[in-house]
Amino acid sequence: MTKTTRRTLLKGAAAISAAAAFPIRATAQGEPLKFGILTPLTGAGGQDGPRMLKAMQAVIDEVNKGGGVLGRKIESIVEDDQTNPEAAVRAARKLIEVNKVPVIMGTWASAVTSAVAPVCWESKTFLCTVSGADSITQLPHQGYLIRTQPTSKLQATSHAGFVAGMGHKKVAVIGIQAPFALATKEHLDNVLKTKGGSVVVHVIYEKDKPTYRSEIDQAMRANPDFLYLNGYAPDTVVVLRDLFKANINLPKFAQSYAVPQKTLDTIPPEVSTKLYTGQPSADIDSKAFTLAAQRLGMAEPDAYESQATDWASLVILTVAKAKEATGTALKDNVSKISQGSGQKVYSAVDGLKALAEGKEINYEGASGPCDFTDIGDIQGCRFRYMEVVDGKLKFLKIV
Amino acid sequence: MEVLQLILNGLMSGTILAVPAIGLTAIFAVLRFTNFALASHMTIGAFAGFVANVTLAWPIVPSLLAAFVVAGLVGVATDEVILKPFRAAGFITTAIGSIALTIALENCVRFIFGNQLRGYDLPIRRDWVIGGGLRVGPQQVENLVIAVIAMALLFAFLSFTRTGKAMRAVADNPMLASIKGINADMVARLVSFVAMGLAGLGGMLIGLDTTIDPLIGFKTILSIFAAAVVGGLGSLPGAVVGALVVGVGEELSLLFLSPAYRSAIGFLAILLVLTLRPRGILGARAY
Repeated sequence: MTKTTRRTLLKGAAAISAAAAFPIRATAQGEPLKFGILTPLTGAGGQDGPRMLKAMQAVIDEVNKGGGVLGRKIESIVEDDQTNPEAAVRAARKLIEVNKVPVIMGTWASAVTSAVAPVCWESKTFLCTVSGADSITQLPHQGYLIRTQPTSKLQATSHAGFVAGMGHKKVAVIGIQAPFALATKEHLDNVLKTKGGSVVVHVIYEKDKPTYRSEIDQAMRANPDFLYLNGYAPDTVVVLRDLFKANINLPKFAQSYAVPQKTLDTIPPEVSTKLYTGQPSADIDSKAFTLAAQRLGMAEPDAYESQATDWASLVILTVAKAKEATGTALKDNVSKISQGSGQKVYSAVDGLKALAEGKEINYEGASGPCDFTDIGDIQGCRFRYMEVVDGKLKFLKIV
Repeated sequence: MEVLQLILNGLMSGTILAVPAIGLTAIFAVLRFTNFALASHMTIGAFAGFVANVTLAWPIVPSLLAAFVVAGLVGVATDEVILKPFRAAGFITTAIGSIALTIALENCVRFIFGNQLRGYDLPIRRDWVIGGGLRVGPQQVENLVIAVIAMALLFAFLSFTRTGKAMRAVADNPMLASIKGINADMVARLVSFVAMGLAGLGGMLIGLDTTIDPLIGFKTILSIFAAAVVGGLGSLPGAVVGALVVGVGEELSLLFLSPAYRSAIGFLAILLVLTLRPRGILGARAY
């Protein structure tokens, strides 16, 4: 127990009166900066949220070890969005109104981001998200939103090129009911048509079903030569198992978030043969990617862990550049450190050093170059393709 | 041929739904409330089976028994400690209490095992092709056999043993049963054990054909509820009939509806049955 002596009491009183005399300065030196993290720890996104949280926390810890930013430590305030728009809005309001955070990072589902975004821009809070639906960056967010995930259009265009490049012409899309379902199918079809192929059938199924036998039968009646599986992990595993049982050995593609290695480990290797996956990616020799891997103590961070690394780094560097931690400062300054002709930096710590030396910087991220358009979308992005061999993801190429 | 395949698929998925549906309806018959905590007990059973099968390397059948016993014991404990005090406050309070309980229990499983998908240590086999190009999965046939055996044992227990008869007596007329000296508390514990055990078994059976995660029970509870209501809440054979009707109905809907609307069929079935036959297809008699 701490003993209060007359001397400490006097010191305390002096400190309080000093704080009262210079309120702004006292806060700046004393209190940590608060960053909001709102990510799905439960619900359909519950597999990705905790890993994104870990990646953001790792960047923040690294910066705190080096003394923080603007002379202040960073404290993350974490809330669970439950992959549920209603719960997410409540949590966002708490972060903004009670914790007074200038930024919220981590929303995952498109439905959640669409609900949280207006709360953020109305309160001038900056939002970083991974949701892919095209409609999100088209909201009137005035710059208070950035997305590191490529749009459905960017993704489908690259995937279609990959599929056509393997010589497949008749693609069946079997996907979950989601905001990106229809857009993805249309973009795929458009690109395939320019290469002499097409989407021959599109089956949209409902989530959470124990079997998709009948849906697969329906898709197979169109006689496809390639299957594009457009779902999340729990349902894609069921589809893969049902395809194997039905003795269908066609090559197939799934988003890498639908078949991460952990999920592949739950199914026998023969079920995942001829399966290809793709994910947005940094350059293969990207330093930011290697640094993120070291920081997280793993061989290859996935697309979500990489993007979460980038949000935390971008936000910290923007705060340092703007010399203030407000949502408006973040909105106005993020492009000054994310793109341009400044010195390329690959981590928040290196970027802070360069900024302290008075240099201009251009943050190159773990998920990609992190160059944003006016509406907060990434300008372009590489895609990393992998093939599953004996139940393990094997690197194929970067496009 | 397409129709036959759809019916076959529906019967297979319906049979698996029937196992936990019997549990739901059995609790309603004896304790007079719908226990939505069945969902988390399916999850608990699925994970108990996972520990037995993967961690302890037990074969599937003993693991299924483990799923039954663990879920059953948890069911008795939670009913005794949490739901029993609610019962005095009436049907609705207890049912709402059971929803709160199920979310709490599901999160306990999540706390211990995490969110990731897991699979049992079981090879996946190709479908058998039976006459005329109809396909059926060996695992589904085995699940069907296990489900049928579990149901047969339950019916034998209720029809031929003294305790089983006591359970039916309480379901039929609690007042009369108590006058006759049947210990209602003991029967309540027993029905909780058997019903939640069946839920655990059903959770693992679904997991055998797919993968498991803490949401496995919550994802299916609405279809199970639909099955129990369609068959006649409180009627054990009704739960089986209801599950088959819901299973086949959902599949046949694919002939004229996009698969995205599949679940609507279960609820259309509820509306239809409740309108035409409010007590369900087989009524509310317990057996």
